[in-house]
Amino acid sequence: MSADYSAGFIEQIKAAAAHQQRLQIKGHGSKAEWLPLASGDDLLELSSHNGILQYEPEELVLTARSGTSLADIDAVLGERQQMIACEPPQLSPGNVSQANGNDALGSGTLGGAVACGLSGPGRPWLGAIRDAVLGVELINGEGEYLKFGGKVMKNVAGYDVSRLQAGAWGALGIMSVISLRVQPCFALERTLSAEMSAPRALALCATLGVRNLPITGTAWIEGQLHLRLAGNDSGVAAACVALAEFGLQVNADDEDLWRLLKNQNHGFFQKAAQRQSGAAKLWRLVTPSAAAMPNFLSDPNSDALVLWAGGLRWIYHDDAQAVADYCRQVGGWYWAIGEAMPIDPMQQQIMAHLAKAFDPHGVFASPLNLNAAAGEA
Amino acid sequence: MNTAAQQSISADNLAKQSSAHGAVLERLRGMLPAASVITDAAGLRPYETDGLTAIREMPWVVVLPETEAQVAEIVRCCAEHGVPIIPRGAGTGLSGGARPHQQGVVLGLSKMSAILEIDPENRIAKVQPGVRNLAITQAAQTHGLYYAPDPSSQIACSIGGNVAENAGGVHCLKYGLTVNNVLGARVVMASGEIVELGGVLYDNPGPDLLALICGSEGMLGIVTQVTVALLPEPETKAVLLAAFSEVVQAGNAVAAIISAGIIPAGMEMMDKMAVQAAEAFAKAGYPLDAEAILIIELDGAAAELATLNTQVTDILRAYGAYQIDEAHDATQQARLWKGRKSAFPAIGRLSPDYLCMDGTIPRKALPKVLTEIDTISQTFGLAVANVFHAADGNLHPLVLFDANVPGQTDHAMAMGAKILEACVAAGGTVTGEHGVGVEKLDTMCVQFSSEELQQFFRLKAAVDPTELLNPGKGIPTLTRCGELGGMHVHKGRLPFPELERF
Repeated sequence: MSADYSAGFIEQIKAAAAHQQRLQIKGHGSKAEWLPLASGDDLLELSSHNGILQYEPEELVLTARSGTSLADIDAVLGERQQMIACEPPQLSPGNVSQANGNDALGSGTLGGAVACGLSGPGRPWLGAIRDAVLGVELINGEGEYLKFGGKVMKNVAGYDVSRLQAGAWGALGIMSVISLRVQPCFALERTLSAEMSAPRALALCATLGVRNLPITGTAWIEGQLHLRLAGNDSGVAAACVALAEFGLQVNADDEDLWRLLKNQNHGFFQKAAQRQSGAAKLWRLVTPSAAAMPNFLSDPNSDALVLWAGGLRWIYHDDAQAVADYCRQVGGWYWAIGEAMPIDPMQQQIMAHLAKAFDPHGVFASPLNLNAAAGEA
Repeated sequence: MNTAAQQSISADNLAKQSSAHGAVLERLRGMLPAASVITDAAGLRPYETDGLTAIREMPWVVVLPETEAQVAEIVRCCAEHGVPIIPRGAGTGLSGGARPHQQGVVLGLSKMSAILEIDPENRIAKVQPGVRNLAITQAAQTHGLYYAPDPSSQIACSIGGNVAENAGGVHCLKYGLTVNNVLGARVVMASGEIVELGGVLYDNPGPDLLALICGSEGMLGIVTQVTVALLPEPETKAVLLAAFSEVVQAGNAVAAIISAGIIPAGMEMMDKMAVQAAEAFAKAGYPLDAEAILIIELDGAAAELATLNTQVTDILRAYGAYQIDEAHDATQQARLWKGRKSAFPAIGRLSPDYLCMDGTIPRKALPKVLTEIDTISQTFGLAVANVFHAADGNLHPLVLFDANVPGQTDHAMAMGAKILEACVAAGGTVTGEHGVGVEKLDTMCVQFSSEELQQFFRLKAAVDPTELLNPGKGIPTLTRCGELGGMHVHKGRLPFPELERF
């Protein structure tokens, strides 16, 4: 099933540039409902452009074509007890909203994971996808095939075009091949849980954050704080003992919790699909960890999910102004899933100039709409 | 045509500038205290070079702003008059990134050295760019926190310079580089506008501009404030020294440790020449008969560490370590590290001069690349000592030479370039952590195609249309690469002896 379609992409991009056409980039389409897609004259289909090109466990590096599915990569890494540390979400199509027939091809590609820059529940401790990116082979809007970064951990030759792709949603070109730093899996993972309010959970996360504990995830949901511990057997066992004083007990029932949260299969996210249109939106708030909880939630136990020791808060709410005010006040940013991502105007301008430098003809129909802005400038 | 001039600023800008210098100076003196605008030769002298002391140039003027607003005003003033700006941190960079421009302003950030905030709740520190790397850890220590990246110059180097170079250190495999530990930055752009990237947040919308600023060598903007992540200090540490009678054994042991799922906090390798020099200098207790030694640091909770220690020791034995020493207390650990950390000055005692290279290679390529370095060393007739950040593949071959022997500096630089070509051929890169600056402009031509270099230039022009921010650094012009294209140095003779060579 593995094949190199990059020559075809180059042709397609050059032709589109020559005819002032726009191409919509598609991997699996698993995140198609997250942002309003910019319309294109044609599709650039990356999912067939797949295959793991090189994997050397002792080098902690995996190189694969961008269309390779995350599930396939997980399987190959799992055989050698390794993983992509930042746990990029693998989204089941249709779990955000089941509106208008989704034609997703799978639960996410490597290219999609990097382009969207989303990280799993371990972000503060295990890093983001941008931290794992070592190099990319990029096809720009001129149809040029360019290699940046490489397969080594330390590399400061030239501007960091590779990590710049994280979060660009394809605005700077299509990634053909990506090299990632991978990580050994932990020998043991344990989940500890205790009932407590959200403010209490935030305070406890801050207290524990300055201690040397093998924490790799926190989640506050439905009135409970869950902590994920990971490390070798003796380290995790010692931490379990140390955390008992906070009422945190080993929770054997929630083994699947972290996978469900990562892939947004948890019941909290399912509610988005069940809610009627016009009802409360699902918001993704990125905030300083220690920021107080918003006071406008009528029932935080059912309407809020707090991850990243407080740094990421998912909420359901219908008053956009209240959400915006809250984020401004605590110094965070918000994104209503399914709507455009708000970008600071000054940064937007820089990004638009960069988009023009990589894609002068505006070939890529990125959902961030940077290329359109560049064209108008 | 002179490549150095090509790599410098455009003729158009130069013409604009000569008539403008008087006006610029007047404005600089109007906005800054007299002592912060340096124009006399004695005052300028300390700024003529950075850590790459082989390259010197007297700047036209040095300014030392104290506030972000002053930085922005200096940038606007220079932009209006077409005067180049060379940002400078502590001047410890090893690749000439802060090399002055004789028509340009050196913008030194040393007076912006305040720690603005240590916030233990969010585990971050907000600091000005002139704050020394080590000072952040010292300020965070009362909260049991520290800042992880520790370049060897951490006593002196500044966080602004660390961001500009994406500085590394000995703990990168486990804790990452500067880019992985910086959460936010305020940046004065070439227009004089101020942009805030990131902050205290774990992600931000859009292409990762913060990552782009890291390692951009002062060519895209001037960092005026940095927010770094702080980590809890490890509960315990162990430092091991393992001696091997073959370099290959040591290399295999490194691979085996990582394959076993262990990520040591640090893992350093030194070859025989480096070991002998370091031991003579530091009396660290290194075995003088070893062909290679590994220094391995493990950290974590006490319970975790005991298990790790046993695992690592078993692997080292299985892979042929004939001697393993373990340092239990802080004094012994410091002693084992002292040898490694003083390797460069130790080599400096063996040889009048040395050139420190900074290639990175896939770890598995180490035996092959070391053999090639040995061959290159014999061909050029100059000795090499090798110090290797084994955990992350960053190799520092030190080329020993005597600058007083006519031609030997060029000879050593040509040899260094050959070594970097070998690193690229092995799948690596010409610079792991020191940056390109002016030193590695030529070797960049080996690593990147003309299309890739042009993309770098378009990126630069998109962010700095004035092209006045640190001009001539980081990315070689196509003309320069063209003239050097296919240049393979034979017997140390350069095809363009009249050109300035770094």
